[in-house]
Amino acid sequence: MSTSKQALFTPARVTAEGPPTSSPARVVLSVQDVSISYLAHRGRVRAVSQVSFDLRQGESLALIGESGCGKSTLNLGIIRLLPKTGRVDQGKILYTARDGSIVDVLALSDREMRAFRWGECAMIFQAALNSLNPVIRVRDMVYDTAEAHGRHDRARIRNRMLDLFRKVRLDAERVFNAYPHELSGGMRQRVLLALGVLLNPQVVILDEPTTAVDILTQRTILEVLKDLREAMGFSIIFISHDLSIAAEMADTVATMYAGEIVEIGPVNELFYRPRHAYTLGLLQAVPKLSAGAQDLSSIPGSPPDLIEPPSGCKFHPRCPFATERCRHEPPPLIEDAPGHRVACFESERVLAASGPARQSTHRLD
Amino acid sequence: MSQNPSGQPLIALEGVYRTFRQGRERVPVLQDINLAVGENEIVCLVGESGCGKTTTGRIMVDLLEPSAGTVLYKGRPLAALRGKDKVEQRRALQIIHQDPFASLNPSHTVGQILSFPLKRHRMAQGRGGVRRRIWELLTLVDLTPPGDLVNKYPHQLSGGQRQRVSIARALTVEPKLIVADEAVSMVDVSIRVSLLKMLHGLRDQLGVAIVFITHDLALAKYFAWEGRIAVMYLGRIVEIGPTPDVIANPAHPYTRALISAIPEADPEVTRNKQRMILRSEDIPRLTDIPPGCAFHPRCPFFVPGLCDARVPPLERAGGFAQSVACLPLTEGLGLREHVSVEEPVVGP
Repeated sequence: MSTSKQALFTPARVTAEGPPTSSPARVVLSVQDVSISYLAHRGRVRAVSQVSFDLRQGESLALIGESGCGKSTLNLGIIRLLPKTGRVDQGKILYTARDGSIVDVLALSDREMRAFRWGECAMIFQAALNSLNPVIRVRDMVYDTAEAHGRHDRARIRNRMLDLFRKVRLDAERVFNAYPHELSGGMRQRVLLALGVLLNPQVVILDEPTTAVDILTQRTILEVLKDLREAMGFSIIFISHDLSIAAEMADTVATMYAGEIVEIGPVNELFYRPRHAYTLGLLQAVPKLSAGAQDLSSIPGSPPDLIEPPSGCKFHPRCPFATERCRHEPPPLIEDAPGHRVACFESERVLAASGPARQSTHRLD
Repeated sequence: MSQNPSGQPLIALEGVYRTFRQGRERVPVLQDINLAVGENEIVCLVGESGCGKTTTGRIMVDLLEPSAGTVLYKGRPLAALRGKDKVEQRRALQIIHQDPFASLNPSHTVGQILSFPLKRHRMAQGRGGVRRRIWELLTLVDLTPPGDLVNKYPHQLSGGQRQRVSIARALTVEPKLIVADEAVSMVDVSIRVSLLKMLHGLRDQLGVAIVFITHDLALAKYFAWEGRIAVMYLGRIVEIGPTPDVIANPAHPYTRALISAIPEADPEVTRNKQRMILRSEDIPRLTDIPPGCAFHPRCPFFVPGLCDARVPPLERAGGFAQSVACLPLTEGLGLREHVSVEEPVVGP
């Protein structure tokens, strides 16, 4: 299978390095200083500003943040599916193919890009119903997808698809021949997951994979996703406003605010030792089932206007830790603890405040 | 209301059934719901989509009539109320809808939205009185300073602000009960808590009862810590009791499944949680509800010949502070995993 893929996906290499001898795991996707803007009536909206991160092989990265923080835009930028009004203003998105060569995704031709999507980097969208064509059977969608990527051996595709459907705990034969409306929401979402990894991509992007599904269905999807990941070893970027899903599924968590990554680090670091006031604010706003009565608090104010963002740190108008310096000077994203980068001048104070707040067991008010 | 016999709950659903027609089929959405809400009480209805929680809420505020059974307002059937009593009941029972974008008229300002019910129900006297009351209401829902907001249209407000306007509108008629149907699920995480605290504050200040409908058990737990939670499955209440008991010591296998399935915003906790494995992942259709306990085809504690034979009554079980509709529990057999996961579902 991989031979035919390589035949189709052969863009010009930026560099030709051999497979890195690296430890821990090689970087599959390197996003470097990427900014994305949209054209709006009032001017250009900077939806993503100077975002950088590395995604390693097999790593699961969660992007958390409120609506409008730029997490979906960033991912649409990575697979170059931004609407016409959006454009990547600067930065590089470097993808390491299986043979170790590195390509700049932003420099790929349209033809190469079509091969890249799904074959190398698959995106699974939020609304499972809208992502499946209602008038064709699942099997035809499978064949169409495979053929668009140069796989014409139907028997082989069918076997692989049935195998994947079984892996995601679906009644494989029935689902393969079904129309989307014959499947429940949870089943459709699992069909999309299986279809997404059909071509064995290295990176899978999941946009709110379990929003608007029921609790027990969500559990199935999460378990199935873990199984698939273990079996296939792909890397995941997932976008979620639900911190609990990030806590469960992510190796690395990045908090986004107003288009910037304000904090990124290992999942336990971010949840137990948050160093950015916004991350701390989000954690203190989410009720937990396992804790007793909880004292939660909202983050005051609302997200900023991205056309005229606040000066200095964009979070300062809502931040209880803000000082005069935060109002004028944008904090750089720097490494505060091993593997843990944060853009906050007051990270030590935030860290100190996060300890007791996490344990608190008081009632409302 | 002078006729109100003391000790009657504010609103009580007794043996309520509701069916909807879908083509030629009749879909039973609610079956035998018995639920009483007292004054100043907090009750959460939780369950997955299609469990009937919204229908229950709509029946409670008289937006829907039950197909069978009665709804009592302070001990008197809703259907029997006439004239002044009916108006009083209409005022007393209010609902806040999920979508604050759809529930506010886009061509009216906040001031107009709030003044209509004030005038219609003569809740404030004269222009000055109406204005004063609007100011009070906006302050009550933390939309301050009110002067900045009265002349704004809904599209100029954020989702959270709109939801506050919806709440202020419900408060114009000085209700006794507010049904909040997924009232914060469309609001960003960071401001949800302030809305919930505000609702809680209204209960303390104004003495209203709140029925909070949500699919989010963690949110229900937070909001109704001092109240009760009712868990619904396929049109029936399967468990009801004080929130801390239902959450920490769930009785019904369905509640246990929900609690075990929910991911938590704590990496260690959520990764080490015991997960309950169901016998089937398929939710039965409402037109084809399994006989006996509707959960039996999925339940790992299923007892053949018992659970599929009789509809379990909602009653107290030994060892639990809450009521539960589960025959093995209420008949004192206890829960044991009789059937392994792989074994096929035993038919009725």
